[in-house]
Amino acid sequence: MGPITLLAEVLRGVSMKSSRLTLGITLCAVQALCSGIVNAQVDLSGNWVVESTQEQRIHGSGPFPGNFAGIPLNEQGREGGFAYSGDQHEELYRQCEPWSVHYIVAGPWGGRFTAMRDASGRIIAWQLSSPAYDRLPMTIWMDGRPHPSSQALHTYAGFTTGQWSGNTLATYSTHLKDSYLERNGPPVSNRQTVSLFFTRHADELMVLGVVRDPVYLEAPYALAQDFQLALTDTGEEVPLYCQPAEVVEGLSDGFHTATVLPDQIPAAQTQMHRLYGIPLDATGGGAATMYPEFRRRLQAEYHPPTAYCRQFCCSGRSAALVCSRPAQP
Amino acid sequence: MAMLASLVRLMGLASAAALCCLPIRAQTRTRTSAVNDTSSAQAQAPYDLQGYWVSLVTQNWQFRMIVPGPGEYADIPINQQAKQFADAWKAAAEEASGRQCEAYGGAVIMRLPERLHIHWHDANLLQVDIDSGLQTRLLHFAATAAPPNEPVNLQGYSQARWVKLMNSGQLFAPPSAPPNPDAGSLEVKTDHLQPGLLRKNGVPYSSRTRVREWWDLRTEPTGQRWLSISTRVVDPQYLIDPYLYDSIFAREADGSKWAPSPCSLRF
Repeated sequence: MGPITLLAEVLRGVSMKSSRLTLGITLCAVQALCSGIVNAQVDLSGNWVVESTQEQRIHGSGPFPGNFAGIPLNEQGREGGFAYSGDQHEELYRQCEPWSVHYIVAGPWGGRFTAMRDASGRIIAWQLSSPAYDRLPMTIWMDGRPHPSSQALHTYAGFTTGQWSGNTLATYSTHLKDSYLERNGPPVSNRQTVSLFFTRHADELMVLGVVRDPVYLEAPYALAQDFQLALTDTGEEVPLYCQPAEVVEGLSDGFHTATVLPDQIPAAQTQMHRLYGIPLDATGGGAATMYPEFRRRLQAEYHPPTAYCRQFCCSGRSAALVCSRPAQP
Repeated sequence: MAMLASLVRLMGLASAAALCCLPIRAQTRTRTSAVNDTSSAQAQAPYDLQGYWVSLVTQNWQFRMIVPGPGEYADIPINQQAKQFADAWKAAAEEASGRQCEAYGGAVIMRLPERLHIHWHDANLLQVDIDSGLQTRLLHFAATAAPPNEPVNLQGYSQARWVKLMNSGQLFAPPSAPPNPDAGSLEVKTDHLQPGLLRKNGVPYSSRTRVREWWDLRTEPTGQRWLSISTRVVDPQYLIDPYLYDSIFAREADGSKWAPSPCSLRF
């Protein structure tokens, strides 16, 4: 019942000189309207920017090619990741390949939450958007509608439903397209599902994401990131969406396809191994690499570098204020 | 006259409606409130954290699963003083001095690859045993501050409180409505820390460090339960900004994989 209908009922009750019973029913209806307001729960509206410092280096320079340690890739996912080349984004039709919905917890960008209301003012959906995702906003349906058939259209934004549990908005996404888990190319298929949990604590938003994919992952992939409510304009209104442009001559023929034979690891994908001495069976990822006991395997094979760090040694404000000075002898 | 009577009734109804809505809006504005009643913290817990949990190192792997080399300070907002300290730091000298547990202190202990065994020591004291480095944290619910003369120690002194959404949307729900699972968070504030390391290559934190954590339990549609801990480390001596990180734990059925290991600065 919308507020206008409700008001009409109230007025009708008055004009008809209603009995106490009718008055009671009317008050209950008003209460129901009020409870609808309460059911709106925590307000997520606004711009949220990444607050965590834990992945500043990766958010800046990106992960090293071929480093999937901690990502529960199966064999197929590992081969897909090693076959990835950044060159493929020079292909015109791949230049603006969007990110899947999990990237809110993996990427360096935040997003904007906007409430979508019906005629009565009730929130029927939340939209999470960012120009940086290069796709339509993620619409989180809150009205209890079911997920469509598995044969329905898959998009980069997917189909998402949500429900509140206390101060946490729990969402569940399906109908997503093939994408990447990270910027160095570990794949995720169109059979992936993504659960996101948004918990607001005052002006902070803690987000946990869990990606499941029967094609490329052998275990759930869980990520977390914290956000801060931005009190100033974050440039959300600026149309930053990716625009494909002509490929720079000489870099690619525009129809480049990565050619990596099975069981081959291109030299460019072993940078982590060469720079930091991390064993290749660790950089290849897999569920085992997420667990504490994997350190026992590493103990025999890994020896920390003895040379002082040469690149990506600091991040954030420390990179400019602290680490730009020469290292102590 | 009849019109006047109708108007009076309408005003009465409007007042009643306002009375209905006012407290609710007030509650919505005050989003959270500590559970401060007389019953115990264990009785007030919105969910049961007890049991075994394993950390999943899916983020910051390079700095958590292995000991990074000298000078690798990325992702920690260190200041110049911290850099000088870390550049001069030597693991061998620390171990020779018996300080190998300094990388297992309260500012960073939840960041290590490890398993947790969480259980109530008493109704207002939650105990967290950690197999990595054989550490124990005690989360004090009854205290609002550390006792006078509380000495600094490796895990510091942690005050904890449940924070629940005052109105979880069930105010007018029928009595048969199912309770909201996982509705609430655990806030933990830690101080009285002895100096320690944020990273095993010598990045320090001082005794002036304050740590605030949010512990949130989340349940997937599959039934899988996750404990995520968001940690903010503030150290006016060695950090130019707060150091913020998240730790993710998955529930384990039992303690069969519990693997205690001593502190080490080499691994």
